[in-house]
Amino acid sequence: MERVKIASMITIRKNQERGHADHGWLNTYHTFSFASYHDPAHMGFRSLRVLNDDRVAAGRGFGAHAHRDMEILTYVLDGSLVHKDSMGEKRTFGPNTVQAMSAGTGVVHSEFNASETEPVRFLQIWIEPAVRETEPSYQQIPFDPEEKHGRLRLLAAPKEAANGHAAALYQDAYVYAAVLGSGESFKQALAPGRHAWVQVARGDLAVNGQALAEGDGAAISGESNLCFAGAGPHGSEFLLFDLP
Amino acid sequence: MTDINVLVVFHSRTGRTEKLALTAAVGAVQAKANIRLRWLREAADDAAIESAPEWKENRQRMEKEYIAPREVDAAWADAIIIGTSGSPPELQDYLASLGVLGSAGKLEGKVGAALSSASIRASAAHEKNGALLAALAQLGFIVVPPGSQSEALERARLQGRRITEVARALKGAGLAG
Repeated sequence: MERVKIASMITIRKNQERGHADHGWLNTYHTFSFASYHDPAHMGFRSLRVLNDDRVAAGRGFGAHAHRDMEILTYVLDGSLVHKDSMGEKRTFGPNTVQAMSAGTGVVHSEFNASETEPVRFLQIWIEPAVRETEPSYQQIPFDPEEKHGRLRLLAAPKEAANGHAAALYQDAYVYAAVLGSGESFKQALAPGRHAWVQVARGDLAVNGQALAEGDGAAISGESNLCFAGAGPHGSEFLLFDLP
Repeated sequence: MTDINVLVVFHSRTGRTEKLALTAAVGAVQAKANIRLRWLREAADDAAIESAPEWKENRQRMEKEYIAPREVDAAWADAIIIGTSGSPPELQDYLASLGVLGSAGKLEGKVGAALSSASIRASAAHEKNGALLAALAQLGFIVVPPGSQSEALERARLQGRRITEVARALKGAGLAG
């Protein structure tokens, strides 16, 4: 019997090709369609629907607004955010923390730069849930920055795999963060039928030999092994999404 | 499903009515509405606010987190929920601004409701809301009264749901503006 070979494919989404809006208080880059940036060719990748790279000025932020049926992850790179929601949560968090809001049947929340003097930069990620109309929930999990150095630190995963150590998702998706110094590398397997998205938060990275710079993303399908190598003068911090 | 826009406008000094407004908004979101929350900025003089630390702190916070209702918000809305404690002058000013829209026929077929802030018995809440509901009816709103739930937050949440469902039914029947 002839086996069907799935072509391996890495498609790079360059930093400067992303949607961009500068509102003064908010300078934001959209890897996928979001708000006033709409590109039918970039509506997401698998269940990854939104990947925004936001910079919010001191003291500013997003006023009360609503979400439904979406798994929303926030990963702060510099500065800190204060989050408030209709579930009664009021929390401040900074880098080396994964914040997850499972919107389910509906939440109203606000998020502001916690500082009156410094800007905040963060990645905001929306993953479509496999189940709808779930009870809304909030999770905030800090970790030791050493745990992402030279290896993958799990940020979010399906509940059974998250095990209190990472944010639990209503989707068979695994989200990791890692920091690699220049010249450092590691490998990660990608199971058959799984797809990966790599997003470079800072610095320079090579994925299976392909060079990625800050703000670049890469969609990867049909590969069984991912080799990550820190490049450039300072290496890289990046996120990896392992998706069904 | 018909898209429904719900505008929640509130006046709050201590944050209690704000919480009710947020809860009503959640109810509307649960019924799959798009929502906007708007705060009626207080006209009180600075000396009065300075003398009450909790009020001052809440005011500074809300000033940052919310914007005031604009004419485009009322035009956008299929339904408007108003949350206040008592009948502050800011509410009267807002109703007057809606009156201008109403006279121009811009509120025709929209649904209106009022939230009562205190955690009081439903019957007392109805009484307190009577004047506001009458004012909304006069402006041309189709008024949806609150339910009979005794707990204020749960009542607010269900009211958010109900106003969305009523607005959707009216719109589906071609009765909304």
